[in-house]
Amino acid sequence: MRYYRSHVMVCTSPQCVDKGARTLMKRLQEELAAQGLADEVAVLETPHIGDCANGPEIMVYPDRVHYAGLTLEDLPSLVEEYFKKGRVVTRLLSQFRPPVDKELGPPKPKEVRVVLRNCGKIDPENIEDYIAEDGYQALAKVLTEMTPEQVIEEILASGLRGRGGAGFPTGRKWQFCRAAAGSPKYVVCNADEGDPGAFMNRRVLEGDPHSVIEGMIIAAYAIGASYGYIYCRAEYPIAVRTLREAIRQAREYGFLGQNILGTDFSFDLEVRMGAGAFVCGEETALMASIEGKRGHPRTRPPFPAVSGLWGKPTNINNVESYAVVPQIILKGSAWYASMGTATSKGTKTFALAGDVNNTGLIEVPFGITMREIIYDVGGGIKGGKGFKAVQTGGPMGGCLPAAYLDVPVDYESLTSAGSIMGSGGMVVMDEETCMVDIARFFMEFIQDESCGKCIPCRVGTRHLLEILERICAGLGKPDDIEELEHLSSLIRRSSLCGLGQGAPNPVVTTLRHFRSEYEAHIYDKRCPAKVCRALIRYEIDPAFCTGCTLCARNCPVNAISGERRQPHTINQELCTRCGICKQVCKFDAVTVS
Amino acid sequence: MSEVHLTINGLQVTAQSGQTILEAARAAGIDIPTLCHHPMLSNHGACRMCLVEVKGMRTLQTACTCPVAEGMEVQTETDEINECRKFSLELLFSERNHYCMFCQVSGDCELQALAYRYGLDHWRYPRPYEKMAVDASDPYIIMEPNRCILCTRCIRACAEIVANHTLGLRERGSATMVMADLDVPLGQSSCVECGVCLQVCPTGALIDARSAYGGHAEEVTHTQTTCMQCSVGCQLDVISRSTRILRIHGVWNTEPGGGLLCVDGRFRPLYETRERIAQPLVRDHGKLVPAGWTEALAIVAKKLKSGRVLGLASGATSNEALVAFAGLMAQVGGKAGQTMPALPTLGFGQPAAVQDILATDYIIVAGANPLVYQKVVGYLIRRAADRGTPVALIDVPRGGLEASAVLSVSGQYAATVTEQAAQAQAPLIIYSVGLKPGVARALKPLAHARWLALAPGRNSLGARAAGLAPLEGHDLTSSRFDVLFFLLGEGSEEGGVMPRLDGAFKIVQTAYRSPLAEEADVVLPAPIWAERSGHVTNLEGKTLPLNPVVPMPDGVRDEAEVLDTLRTMM
Repeated sequence: MRYYRSHVMVCTSPQCVDKGARTLMKRLQEELAAQGLADEVAVLETPHIGDCANGPEIMVYPDRVHYAGLTLEDLPSLVEEYFKKGRVVTRLLSQFRPPVDKELGPPKPKEVRVVLRNCGKIDPENIEDYIAEDGYQALAKVLTEMTPEQVIEEILASGLRGRGGAGFPTGRKWQFCRAAAGSPKYVVCNADEGDPGAFMNRRVLEGDPHSVIEGMIIAAYAIGASYGYIYCRAEYPIAVRTLREAIRQAREYGFLGQNILGTDFSFDLEVRMGAGAFVCGEETALMASIEGKRGHPRTRPPFPAVSGLWGKPTNINNVESYAVVPQIILKGSAWYASMGTATSKGTKTFALAGDVNNTGLIEVPFGITMREIIYDVGGGIKGGKGFKAVQTGGPMGGCLPAAYLDVPVDYESLTSAGSIMGSGGMVVMDEETCMVDIARFFMEFIQDESCGKCIPCRVGTRHLLEILERICAGLGKPDDIEELEHLSSLIRRSSLCGLGQGAPNPVVTTLRHFRSEYEAHIYDKRCPAKVCRALIRYEIDPAFCTGCTLCARNCPVNAISGERRQPHTINQELCTRCGICKQVCKFDAVTVS
Repeated sequence: MSEVHLTINGLQVTAQSGQTILEAARAAGIDIPTLCHHPMLSNHGACRMCLVEVKGMRTLQTACTCPVAEGMEVQTETDEINECRKFSLELLFSERNHYCMFCQVSGDCELQALAYRYGLDHWRYPRPYEKMAVDASDPYIIMEPNRCILCTRCIRACAEIVANHTLGLRERGSATMVMADLDVPLGQSSCVECGVCLQVCPTGALIDARSAYGGHAEEVTHTQTTCMQCSVGCQLDVISRSTRILRIHGVWNTEPGGGLLCVDGRFRPLYETRERIAQPLVRDHGKLVPAGWTEALAIVAKKLKSGRVLGLASGATSNEALVAFAGLMAQVGGKAGQTMPALPTLGFGQPAAVQDILATDYIIVAGANPLVYQKVVGYLIRRAADRGTPVALIDVPRGGLEASAVLSVSGQYAATVTEQAAQAQAPLIIYSVGLKPGVARALKPLAHARWLALAPGRNSLGARAAGLAPLEGHDLTSSRFDVLFFLLGEGSEEGGVMPRLDGAFKIVQTAYRSPLAEEADVVLPAPIWAERSGHVTNLEGKTLPLNPVVPMPDGVRDEAEVLDTLRTMM
């Protein structure tokens, strides 16, 4: 094999070819030969670099120098200056910058990227990119060097726990399914990520689909499954398309199908799309949906490991759980277990949202404190405001106050604080958030997404919501808090599935940590955070009002009156408390009370 | 099946593995309340009535779904459980219109009974939600969504028992409601009006249009008898109050149908519109006029003695009447037979029972149309198809079964079906009068098959057993006969051999006015299904009892009795 000090990739996209890329390539080779560099610099074709609009373009490796808009006349001087003398010809440099992955961006402080390691780095639609990052090596190792029992042992030893939220040890789940009688067995990937604002799984599916597929094949080998399903919500069309393409390529490369990698292990999988029901993220509802039935959860036991899809033993894990499996196999359980706390190993992705400076996806090792997540990774609260609460675990999670900022984030500590790990939603709220309103918001979501099968969730959450709506509307009654507690306690104990059992959580945790806010709403008819419209008044402070009329012109209900250059007033009868006047006022003359 | 030992409320209980806690408890005489559970249906686990505490489990479990396990410790009546049960009841009552005093099932309502049991003397959330329109588009079944508790018994019954899949749920959460097809009025839906949903509804959400407010459970009488509307012979639980029949239920777990009924058995007999004949009629000056039994029988006896008699029985009557009829005809030296077409024989295989439809691995339907003529058999075939049993059709007219079939061919391609069914362990051939000899020959390689012959009409096998052979193919039109005696029962003359011999003296023994009765010279009234005692022979060849629900009207006499009287007059 010949070695070159430099490789020149010439873009031969139709657009660049149209602009003379082929002639340019030929002339470049001639020029390099003429200047005696033919043995040092290789010229190759590449289908696309990115700046075809200003083509023809070339990319020089290993320097990663990108030239565009080249003409034949540029070539002699370019070869002379750059390839011979090593001076970059700035005049010819491409102005093109590859699009930055805004969702992810470069790792923020204290982040450790394990699940997200390939996201934004590799081309998800090119299996070779994944293979270049050690992809499918774990599968090869498993199929050629390990027995299914050894695979399960390794996963058990890693301490990996279900990333869907409940945190059941993944290895144990595999063990149960392996031990269950029945055939065929199935593996299912729960990619029905429905928590509002959460997109950890989508990012992995869109950015590194093969890690999930490889994890599923390994799981299938470990439990003895022959077929798998990825249940992905239809609201993720790009993820579905990417997965389907990845599965097609994996089949083409022999990682899926009959006799994988020449062994006698066979496995295949397909993508099934959800139809938009939040409850289908619940594993039994998800399986009903795959079977083509209405997405209703059913009671457990029997658990899916014993009686799952079509009554057969089924292993069901979250996207993140599968995605990390290949790395555990390759790097060893000890490596994985070295991250995290005593009971929660490894890393966890979170979708950081709300009132923090750096919203977006993060991946951090377990044991990190909430303070580190919010202030170091998240860059602190927006606008320098005070922290009020953080909501973890999606709509059925809980809101934790500042007292829990220094609690290490792991399954147990979140549970004991009254919240849950969940799949990784994390909403940060600043001091201007009304916790009663937040509870009402989440209850509205839960009530809307209740499947309607069991009565405590179907009707109980409706009563909860009605009480919360009443409190927010200033119509709270003295025994409403007791009523909320009574309903919550019974809904939690008597509901069928996790959705119903977790449904009262937003109410329970806000009552536990922010009870005084409820009391202010009910007894004083006051919203301390000045959010609940029925309990606030917008007023114009005559001392600050200049009579600029901006607020009056913007008021959608014409509730503001006043002469030019004279202080304005708000007619409280007409005011709908939309807050536009406050937003537009340049003199901070609009106050809320 | 192995034995499992557990304790329920401290009591040692032995159960079979695979049983649920509910089954184990009920077998041991321990009562656990249920609402969405129904013994004929799959378990749902939604109403939360049967919540029990299982030691070591994180949450309360539904006894109807939780399988028993060795060493399990179950509590069924703790304060916490009862609090949860009462809570669910409270929510159910707050959800819709459950003001019992206006409800037709008040007193017989499972929801109401539970509310009494758990002392629900008021409910905390007194506002029922928005009203929904009552669906009275179906002639037999009224859907009253405002009383629905979404237990989905009706939906499960429609899917699992009748395999019709008409009922389903629309929307979700608190907007969930039962709907027919894609939310069309029931009367315009694919509903086959079998009424099983009515029978399983625990509240007043599904109402029998005819018998609503007709009587409480404690005021009615139950009579078990055999349905006479076709040859299947389903067992009926006829619910009556005094001499009024309120409604008909199927009898669960009885052969042949298992408790499933069809519209012909459950509803149509109660919506009879034909005019009943309540006393003998004789033709006088060209008109049929009422007469006494003595007068009418004397005329009949005189004619029977003097003429060449042809007797035709339709089979819509009891075995006893058919035997008496055959005897009478023999005595007068007349020719006698039945109007129903002949049922061919297959020539191989063993006979099967109706319930075997659910215990076979390949079903062939040949020359039959069960969804029209023996509906319950049709429903069972569809249920088997739902469970994965392949169904092949040969010479079956379009009419519903093709949706459940893997193959539908005409007789000339019967060999294709034979080929497909060859692998089956226990194929079942269901055939009827349309079975062609060529098809029977083509199926012959399936020598290990069992068969179920769908006898035409109602009691045609009873008629055969009485010696009344089908007269199909006989030349009856020549004027050799001058007296015709029709034993019609409550059937009509349609759908069988019915010679029109002009000039002959016609005697018709029947329950209802009909064109043939109008032509008759003497009409002898007969009882209807609900008045009969005796027996019928169903398509399996089983003799099944007929028990009277209501007395015969004055002026009507049992056919066998009348025919025997005539014999003594010969």
